[in-house]
This record gives sequence, structure tokens and C-alpha cells, in this order.
Amino acid sequence: MDLFRVENLTFSYPQAEKKALDGVSLTIKSGEFAVLCGQSGCGKTTLLKMLKRELSPHGVRQGNVRYNGTELGDLDERSAACEIGFVMQNPENQVVTDKVWHELAFGPESMGLATDVIRRRVGEMASFFGIQAWFRGNTGELSGGQKQLLNLASVMVMQPKVLILDEPTSQLDPIAASDFITTLGKLNRELGLTIILAEHRLEEVFPAADKVLVMEEGKVLLCGLPREIGRQLRAISPKHPMLAGLPSAVRIFSGLNIDDACPLTVKDGRRFLSAHFTGAIDRVEIPEYTHSQIIAAEMKNVWFRYGRDLPDVLRGVSFTVYQGESFCVLGGNGTGKTTALNVLAGLNQAYRGKIVIGGKKIKEYKGNELYRHNIALLPQNPQTVFLKNNVREDFDEICKVMEYSAAERDALIAEIAVQLGIAHLTDKHPYDLSGGEQQKCALAKMLLLKPKILLLDEPTKGIDAFAKQTLSGILRGLKAQGITVIIVTHDVEFACENSDRCALFFDGEIVSADTPNSFFAENNFYTSSANRISRHIYKNAVTCDEVIELCKRNYEAAHEQ
Amino acid sequence: MRAFESVHPAAAFAYFISVLLVAMFTAHPVLLCEALLGAVLFCAILSAKGFWKNMASYVPLFAIIALSNPLFSHNGVTMLFFLNGNPVTLEAVLYGADIAVMLIAVIYWFQCYSFVMTSDKFLYLFGKAIPKLSLVLSMALRFIPLFKAQLIRVNRAQKAMGLYSGKSFTDKLRSAGRVLLALITWSLENAVETGDSMRARGYGLHGRSHFALFRFTGRDGVLLGISAALTGLTLTGRALGGADFAFYPRITGISTAPLSLAVYLAFGALTLLPFIIETEESLKWTYFVSKI
Repeated sequence: MDLFRVENLTFSYPQAEKKALDGVSLTIKSGEFAVLCGQSGCGKTTLLKMLKRELSPHGVRQGNVRYNGTELGDLDERSAACEIGFVMQNPENQVVTDKVWHELAFGPESMGLATDVIRRRVGEMASFFGIQAWFRGNTGELSGGQKQLLNLASVMVMQPKVLILDEPTSQLDPIAASDFITTLGKLNRELGLTIILAEHRLEEVFPAADKVLVMEEGKVLLCGLPREIGRQLRAISPKHPMLAGLPSAVRIFSGLNIDDACPLTVKDGRRFLSAHFTGAIDRVEIPEYTHSQIIAAEMKNVWFRYGRDLPDVLRGVSFTVYQGESFCVLGGNGTGKTTALNVLAGLNQAYRGKIVIGGKKIKEYKGNELYRHNIALLPQNPQTVFLKNNVREDFDEICKVMEYSAAERDALIAEIAVQLGIAHLTDKHPYDLSGGEQQKCALAKMLLLKPKILLLDEPTKGIDAFAKQTLSGILRGLKAQGITVIIVTHDVEFACENSDRCALFFDGEIVSADTPNSFFAENNFYTSSANRISRHIYKNAVTCDEVIELCKRNYEAAHEQ
Repeated sequence: MRAFESVHPAAAFAYFISVLLVAMFTAHPVLLCEALLGAVLFCAILSAKGFWKNMASYVPLFAIIALSNPLFSHNGVTMLFFLNGNPVTLEAVLYGADIAVMLIAVIYWFQCYSFVMTSDKFLYLFGKAIPKLSLVLSMALRFIPLFKAQLIRVNRAQKAMGLYSGKSFTDKLRSAGRVLLALITWSLENAVETGDSMRARGYGLHGRSHFALFRFTGRDGVLLGISAALTGLTLTGRALGGADFAFYPRITGISTAPLSLAVYLAFGALTLLPFIIETEESLKWTYFVSKI
């Protein structure tokens, strides 16, 4: 039975020239797990909001959306609100009340259920989602993952027939994201719940999905089984930008021209490689890594805690970053990575140890000297960087502080705008930009400081695969300019591609540091999916491209004989 | 979790109101001393850690209030000595001490109140009467920590760019203003999403109900009954003149008539009620533990 039937839906926002949705048709069957993917700005969010009447944006629309055979607009208020559940991107903003139990009860209260019924439903949901431990807690004290789980539970407590989720894991760390996706899979499998999920982190989603829809510029480009999407995308264009966002197994598969079923998981990927490729050539040749001998930043045995009676967050952190190097610090949540970055940026003072930046102790920098042509920190949330009504005003302000002349300022802003590809964004309000755009603009503001060392805190949070690639390109450009980059991230794949050296942060200190290929090749768990897929054959391939290259070379070698 | 914290909000609220009403509108030293004793004991049980620290700050407060009265009030007939040509009377000194006892007792009771009557309990009580208000309050309580956290984040981000960290007062004021302005935009932006989330979950449908975790049990009924009876006794006794006391012009003696004794006893029992409940509970626990 078709739960949703969208026919020829076209939509444009008021005063927008481009159509946000252009002749979209699709059907979602009852009990289906459908995944919607595409670059940011392709109309995913608009499409999802058109499926939930309360959230449908204003604008010019044609075509129709039928829910259970009824036009969505004709559905009675109660069913429209209760039967279609919607979870949004930002975990923080969806939480309405201050107590966890009250948040869970919010939906049933709106439905006007009696206290006893609410009590039972809330109890049921809290048990299903494992919320009991913090049931009576304050919502403000929850972690991002817990908040998003609470948002999901407080929608599920209304017993919806279909669940729509708009990039629910984009603000979560990988472990919380994976837990969240697992929970969705469980809801789909165990309750037969229909799920429509827009997502750009597809590694875990693909194996659970029944159907994948790829959107591009307001149109549904492809619609098919997860196993077929990779090949179909390649058929459209071998360099299609969406390919970069697919799971590693799919990427490796679609990079090789082999007639077999497409693997979706690491397990299938390993089987696939074993069946088709040999390990005659078992490692990629990496030119030996050499770095400059000049030390850009150094931490020696640094200890830090937030209060006298609080536990130590940094316990003797020591590392050295050389000039022009790109250094990635990886590690789980709450290990102190971000704190280390803040200490390095002079935002927190270490109580023991030595920090040297540009050959000078951090304590010897007076006033704002440290932030003038020395160090710049791009925070996790790029919104915090902007205070003005448009991006250009923010840029001007920083130029004024840096005492650039008017000509110098205009030239510099123009140059950086071209370098980062943000020239068309400078007149917009910072909050009107997408996550990736916001980040590029924030980065531009940092570059106006002309730093020698750039610190990035979780730069891949909330941005899609395509924006990630753009960011990688920008970082390569900065490296070519001789800027030292220190990145703190959860994102193993991003670290593989963007670092000269990687380090693992654990328990308040750096436990190992090495070039990415040796670093990840030696890790068993904490490594890229491409490495996990290929490690039984190839010794040091960490990115999909490296695996594909090795496979091809082995294939050619085998066929020459 | 203290026993009194698990009392139904209605019973707890009624209890606090009755004690505070009596304590705030009497000057009778016995009643006030009882109020102070009850509050101190209750407070000590509720927050054993912060108790002594608090105590230290109340001693000077007590002294200031008690000593300032005779400096300004020269009523009373028993002259002690002259200060700058003004008489200092025994009555004024004692009245000062009496008022100080009352104020500190009330402060202690409010401390216990804020400990026991958390925001959710208050909302539960008054939410039924004004459902919208209770939701707004709950949302505000949710929003304040969110706003604070973002304020810290913005300040740090700006500091790391070497902005808004001027040393002079006017600089600080100006930068604080700018950050605040940006934060208001930020909160409006977020409020749109929160609103969406509410509407998506059916807010605005007809016939919204009101849910709370609290259940009114027999125990709560008994507590409510006892405190009502004791308060009634105290107030009736007072109305019949059982708790009359005057400081000026001359201190009247503390009455030991049966009616007065009954008032003292009733109010004493009322103020000690939480302490008795808590003690009983902890004794029970010791007994349980020893049995295990």
C-alpha cells in the first residue's frame, strides 16, 4: 500500500527564481525505509517539509501529495499532526521543555490524552529507547546524542505511522550517530514503521535502507535499491559529486568495473575484494614524509583542569607541529581534544607545562598579540564567529581591527572570497547560509587575520560529503601557502585525506602520532572503512582511491601474465 | 532523595505557606524561635554540605539587624545608656533581636522551600490554572541555560580572533552590547525551529491535557491534614489572644496560660514536622540496613 504518493510536485519559495522542487514524483510504501540523499541545497529539506503539513513552507506549489490516499491538505488536523512524525536536524532547538519527562509528554499532552494513558506511553517509550537513567533529568544537561534520541522518542510517543527525519545525525559524533541509525533500523524492523530519512552520512544507513532516492537541483535523479545506486550514478557521470558521499564499499565497487553484486557493508566489501583481487602488490607507495625543521607550535607536558576541585582534562599533553604541516588530532567524545585546542589558542590557561607558538612561549604574548598574524581558531559552531547583519560587515570589522588600509582590505577580501568560492555569499545574513557555506565564510574571516597557524575544531560537523571535499581543497590551498593547520576531528575519513600526520587523543594525552598511512594501518578499529575493507589484502591503503588504485594495479598485473 | 522531597507538591506547598504565614505575621519570641529552630533543623537535613557555610554568613546578618534597631528606635522605657545623646533602650534591643530571628527564620524557610519545591513542582501546581503560562515558564527554564552556553561560545570565538577583549570599561560595555544583539538574532532564529517542533507535535490542537509525574497518596493526605490541623490550632489560639506579646512600651511577660502553651505546642509541632519525618525516615533506613 502506498503511504505517501507525491505526484509531479513543483515548488518555489517566494521571490526565488529557481524552483526548489521541480516535478518530483515518488511513492513511499508502508513499512519502507527510504533514504533521501543529495548535496545540500538540492531540495531534500523542502521535499520532506512538504510531506508534513504543519511545516510546509509558503510559496508557489503545483502537483499533489497524497497521504494514505487523501490529499495532505484535506487531512484532519489530528491525524496530520499525530500520524506523521518529524525529527529535524538540530538536536538542541527541537527540545521544548526543561525536563526530559515533560518533553516526552509534550506530544501526548497536545493530543489531549488522559494522565494514565500518557504515563503508560511515556514509560513504554523511555524503556524502549533506554531513557530511564536520565528520565527525571534536565534536558539542558544531555549530550547531543541523548537530545536527538529524546527528540525521536518524543515523536514516537505519539505513535506515528510514518517517521520523517531531516539529517538527524549531522550534529552528532560518529558513535552517537551510529547508535541513532541503529535505533531507526530497529524501529523499522521491529515495529514495521515507515521511515523517510534524509542523510548525508550513508555508511550505516545504506545497509538498512530498502530504497534510496538521489536528488539533484530539485529533481529526483535516481530512485532504486541501495545496491544499484552506485552503478547508476556512475552511468550518469563517473565523476558525479554524489559518489563521494556513498559508503566506502559502494565507492570502491563503483570505482572498479566488476560484474558482481554491490557490497554495502565492510563485511561484504572484504568478501568482494577477496573474491576478485589478489594481494600481489600489497601496499601503496607513499613517498617518505619530510617536514620542515622549524617548529610552529609545541606543547610539552601540559596539564589543565577547569576548576581546582575538578578532574584533570589534559594530563601531560605533548606534541610538536612543524611549519607548513597539517596535523590531525583524532579521538572520541569528551577525551579533551577541544580543550587541548583551546589551551593552544590561549583561551584556557594550562596550570603546568610549556606551550610554545612560533618560537615564543604563549605567556609572553601580550594582549591580542597572539591573535595578530599568529594563531586563529575556527570554532566548532561557525555561527559564533559572526555578529553582524551580513558577512561583508563582519569581514570589514576584522579588517578594521587588523588595521588594513581600505585598498588592502578590498584586495584581501576579494582574494580570499575567490579562493574559498564565497564571493556570492558576502551580502547574505550569516544565518541564511547552509552549514557548509557558513563554515567557508567563517574560515574566510579567520584567513583575514593572516594567521600562521590555523586551528580547526570539528570542521566536518554538519556538512555534506561535497562540502567536505571543497574544504579539503581549501585546506590543500592553505598548505601550499605555508599555513600550518591543526585539526581536531572525529572524522577518520577526513583525517586520512587531509593530514600529514595524525595523532590519537585519549584520556587527556596524545597516545600515538604518525603519518596517516602508518597510523591507520596499525589501528584495528579506529581506522577508515576503506582500510577495514582492504586490510586483509593490502597493508597500508586508507582511502577509497588508494584501495581502487591497488585493486586496478593488481588486476592489470594478473592479466598481463 | 530526602523524604520531604517526595511529598506531593500540593501538600508541600500548603505546608510551606502555612509556616511562613504564621512566622511572618507574628512578633512572639517563642513562636519565632520555634520557626527558626524548625527551619535550621530542616535545612541541615536537606543540604548538609552547604549548611555550615550558610550559617557563617547569617551570624553577621543577625548582628547587623539586631543592633541597627536600637540605633534608630528609641521607644521603650528601660533605658540602658546614651549613645550620641540618644537613649538606647532594652526594649529596642530585644525587638531588634526578635526581628532578626524572624528574618533569618524566614530566609531559612525559603531556602528549604527552594530546595523542595523545584520548578517542575511549582509548574505542576499552577500549570493547571494557567496551562500556557506553565509551558512558557518551562520553555524559559529550558532556554536560559541554552542562551548562557551560546554566550560563552560566542565570547570565546570572538576572543580567539582578538576581538571584543578591550580592557577599558566602555570597550567592554560596547562589545557586550554587540554580542547580546547578535545573540538575540540567534535566539529568534532558534525559536522558529522550536516553534516548528512544537507544531509538528500537535501543539495547538484542541483540548490539550496536562501531565505530571506526581501522584497524591495517602501519606500526602495525612501530612496535609496534620499541617492543616496544627495551623488551624495556632491561628485560633492567636485569635483568642494566646500569642499576644508587646515589646513597647514595656516588654510583656511570656504567657504560660494553657491557651498560650497550646499555641506554642501546635506551632512547634508544625515547624518540626519535616524534621520529624526526615528523622523517622533515616531511623527506618538504619534499621533496614542493620537488618540486611
